[in-house]
Amino acid sequence: MVLRRIAAVLVPLAALVVVSALVLAGWSLVATARGVRPSTGQLIGSAAIEVLLVVQALVGIVLMVTDDRDVERVTFVGYHLTAVLLLPLGVGWGIADRSRWGNGVLAIAAATEAVLVLRLLQIWGERA
Amino acid sequence: MPEAGAVGWRAMRSGPGRILVAVYAVFALSASARAGLQLTTKLDQAPVAYLLSGLAAVVYVVATVSLARSTARSFRVALGAVVLELVGVLTVGALSVVDPVAFPDETVWSGFGAGYGYVPLALPMLGLLWLRHVHGHTVGA
Repeated sequence: MVLRRIAAVLVPLAALVVVSALVLAGWSLVATARGVRPSTGQLIGSAAIEVLLVVQALVGIVLMVTDDRDVERVTFVGYHLTAVLLLPLGVGWGIADRSRWGNGVLAIAAATEAVLVLRLLQIWGERA
Repeated sequence: MPEAGAVGWRAMRSGPGRILVAVYAVFALSASARAGLQLTTKLDQAPVAYLLSGLAAVVYVVATVSLARSTARSFRVALGAVVLELVGVLTVGALSVVDPVAFPDETVWSGFGAGYGYVPLALPMLGLLWLRHVHGHTVGA
């Protein structure tokens, strides 16, 4: 009962992550073109997305463990872990770089997040 | 004088080079993860495809590391890796179209990288352009 409710959350949550990651990627791309370094707004946005990613990983892994249907477990957990770790790495590199290209790296990290989460949804959908 | 050269080679990982290193790092990670899973769990199903998948992973890791190191020697290693990458994506891409049965599972280079938005096809070309740019500025100066 509770699990079914959690399952209903996973897909909208993932969709929210994809959209916000794409917005961050676009924002960082524009910032790269303008030749500025990552702004506080981008960092707050990244932190918010990171919170969503952590929640998504917890929800996804709880569902995977409790769901007896066949999900490719190693792949599924691997994608969640990568998704959680990648954005902090991109942000760290983005801040450390004192040029516009820090924003370029952030754009790549955010775009990769969107792709990762889309793949996660695919893997989740393939179970049935 | 060697110091001036070393500073010049460092251009490899600065500016747009950072983007290249970042994208290569993403592919090194995803190709290694995918190849690792394929080689350890189902090598017997399509050994050629999965060994090529492993080769792709190695090429991406070598390219990432040598681009990030940015020395005169790592330039040559990076050049070799990127050329091998281009040959690989073209060969595996063509094979996977001609003989799909031998390539049952998606690998990074299947269908010329279609599963990855054709980034694997564009990446070595951008890599070669970038290396030529760096080479021109460092040696040509």
